Amino acid sequence: MKGILPLFLGIFGTFAFSWAGLIAIPNAQIGHLDPQMDEEGNDAYPAPKSGMYDRGRQVYVSNGCVYCHSQQVRPDYAATDIDRKWGTRRSAPRDYIFERPALLGKMRMGPDLSNIGKRAPVDDADAPAPASTTSTTAAPAAPAPLGSAAQTSPAVPAPAGSPEAAPPEPTPAAPATAAAGTPAPSGSPAAPIAPADGAASPAPATAAQTATGVPAPMTDAIGGAAGNEPLPYSAGWHHRHLYDPRSITPDSDMPPYRFLYEKRRIGGQASADALKFGGPGKVPEGWEVVPSYDAQCLVAYLMGLDQSHALNEVKSAAPASPPAPGKAVK
Amino acid sequence: MSSAEIPLRPPSSTAAVASPAENQVTRDEVEQVERALIDASTRMPVLMFYTSAVFWLLLGTLLAGLASFQMHMPDLLGGTSFLTWGRVRPAHTNAMVFGWASMAGIGTSIWLMARLSRTTLRHPLLLVAGAAFWNLGVLVGLIGILAGDSTGYQWLEFPPYAAVILFVAYSLVVSWAVLMFRFRRGGHIYITQWYLFGAFLWFPWLYGATQIMLFAVPLQGVMQAAVNWWFANNLMFLWFGAIGLGTAYYMIPKVIGRPVYSYHLAAIGFWTYALFASWTGMQRLVDGPFPAWMITASISATILTIIPVATVGLNHHMTMRGHFGLMRYSPTLRFTVFGAIAYTVFSLVGLLISLRSMASYVQFTQMSIAYSHLGLYAFFTMIMFGSMYYIVPRLVGREWRYASLIKLHFWASAYGVMLMILMLFVGGIVQGRDMNNTALSFTESTQSILPYLRGRSLSGMLLTVAHFIFATHFGMMLFGLGRSASVPTFLNPQQQEALQTSL
Repeated sequence: MKGILPLFLGIFGTFAFSWAGLIAIPNAQIGHLDPQMDEEGNDAYPAPKSGMYDRGRQVYVSNGCVYCHSQQVRPDYAATDIDRKWGTRRSAPRDYIFERPALLGKMRMGPDLSNIGKRAPVDDADAPAPASTTSTTAAPAAPAPLGSAAQTSPAVPAPAGSPEAAPPEPTPAAPATAAAGTPAPSGSPAAPIAPADGAASPAPATAAQTATGVPAPMTDAIGGAAGNEPLPYSAGWHHRHLYDPRSITPDSDMPPYRFLYEKRRIGGQASADALKFGGPGKVPEGWEVVPSYDAQCLVAYLMGLDQSHALNEVKSAAPASPPAPGKAVK
Repeated sequence: MSSAEIPLRPPSSTAAVASPAENQVTRDEVEQVERALIDASTRMPVLMFYTSAVFWLLLGTLLAGLASFQMHMPDLLGGTSFLTWGRVRPAHTNAMVFGWASMAGIGTSIWLMARLSRTTLRHPLLLVAGAAFWNLGVLVGLIGILAGDSTGYQWLEFPPYAAVILFVAYSLVVSWAVLMFRFRRGGHIYITQWYLFGAFLWFPWLYGATQIMLFAVPLQGVMQAAVNWWFANNLMFLWFGAIGLGTAYYMIPKVIGRPVYSYHLAAIGFWTYALFASWTGMQRLVDGPFPAWMITASISATILTIIPVATVGLNHHMTMRGHFGLMRYSPTLRFTVFGAIAYTVFSLVGLLISLRSMASYVQFTQMSIAYSHLGLYAFFTMIMFGSMYYIVPRLVGREWRYASLIKLHFWASAYGVMLMILMLFVGGIVQGRDMNNTALSFTESTQSILPYLRGRSLSGMLLTVAHFIFATHFGMMLFGLGRSASVPTFLNPQQQEALQTSL
């Protein structure tokens, strides 16, 4: 080859071609999406995230959670993600418009987390609302156990296709808005996604929310009726799982994140945030484990992960899918 | 390429080099002196890049070992924030990508550029400063990752302040390369120079564009993931791949003393490589939240990379034909041919796992780790080892001290990386099979891969041994403990005598 100019032009040209084709054109196609709203301009999804959520995502990034947990649900024709109850529909570009970085992940040494927040007990009122931009409340523990029917009713694993697995209808009362601290209205079809990966776990599975709206007696979650066990996927559950994963799933391969927690002697009154271990032995008498602010943000982030809201451009695996699904983003 | 430059003459192929004419000898002598001068001029910067690279290699190996054991012993050091698995892993990948592989690649490229441009290296201070800044960037970046300042983008975890230092370092290196190219002698540009020229230009565009699109003017949502994969894939192909292939195009003909089989094949291989390999990447996002055409485009491009792979492979094979026996003696050839073969395997595996039917199986499994190691280690790192075995003696004026250490290094590296890839390949398939089987709980899919992860740790120990042997040997060369001899160190000394007598 003679001459440097053709070489340079070729090298530049191939690079520019690749950039134009794989970045510039897709960016024009899916790089400027707005939240979806209903006809009245309400029920925006996705909603902007809270400060705690954003900080929690940074904690998630710092500690490399993304190397084991994906956040994308693949369509049912390609994979079994939806069968595993990781979501009710495939993920779409619009789900991520407020995510920076968008942590799609490339490895599943742990389950997919796209909808982990959706699995929380509906009544976990202290979970910082993802919809709120001002939420700085930092009390993930001690949820108002409105629906703690889970502690009284036997765990009912939701079989595929059962009504429990049905996704929420795109009503204004969808959980994205319901998460703002108010319990879901009675009769709302906001059934949580049943845990799929926890099948081998001795932890009680999320009680199917069949008894929606039935107010349970106010019991303090710390001294909960069922032996000090936090509700699955509640904030307390996440904290304990982060602190000691194998106390919840014995076969878990997740590293513990004890450095996000402070183990300290109880001075005076025990902290309301202290972790609840299902029984003695984990923490010596007179000691308690309390989450740091980072841990609280991380849990706020996890509990805000929720792609259950229906999107017009994606076909939900629900019988009650939107009547006119737009062109599916494939 | 003049056949008189052959350092290692095969005993049988005397026809090619026999009976040089009288005037030829004097010309050879002149060229010999010239080359010695060029080598001497590259000595300082290349050794600096190499020494730094070997240091990062050792550090990256130790981090890899820790991360590997943590995968099947999750409680190991879990209570320490900066040694938690999720920080050690990106520290390992970045130490290897930016510390070891990039610095070794730049070192080899500098030497090749100087040799092929046939000019002594000008402005070595630019390069020395470049190496110093590069080390600083990697150090700051690694500390940033371990301190929890990672950005969360694969292979771009270095916080932006470290990326800026790297970019300054890189611009020093590239400005030198441009100068070098301007002052080159002879209008002819050899194949290796195409690849190196491409790599030197692609890297800053790629890195700069990515940094802008992710941090300065960030794109929205999933486009960040697209940019991330576009970067990771093109870094592998257009940076490491180009340097690795360019080096192989130099080392193989050089060591066996035959010209490249076909220039036309090489040209086809280069341009189809630049065109198709740069379009891959999105296949790693298969079935993700993207328009399907993006992913299909990358899958098609991956299939089309068969063309450059076949042409490059054929070219190397035809060049080597009848001379494979030389791999018994020459360390450079042995490592380089291993790497060149691994490049073919790497591309074929890449093709296999990008097909949709296969991808839905192995997506989100350890298969992707097998693929990365196939590319970065079995292909690129082995070729870099080969080039270092060739170049370092010419810089320090001594030959490698122990053939046995080179052999140990080769076999530990080769067995180590092959075992690792086998473990992760099979493990990935098992993991994918169990993950897609909803009759099993998810935890069972991560349990079923545990034996393979333990096997991977074993292979990592082999690689650790290999790297420490190499570092020791390299250190001996650095401190002038090499053999002072006029013949290179051959791997099988008893054959060496036969070689010498025949020459």
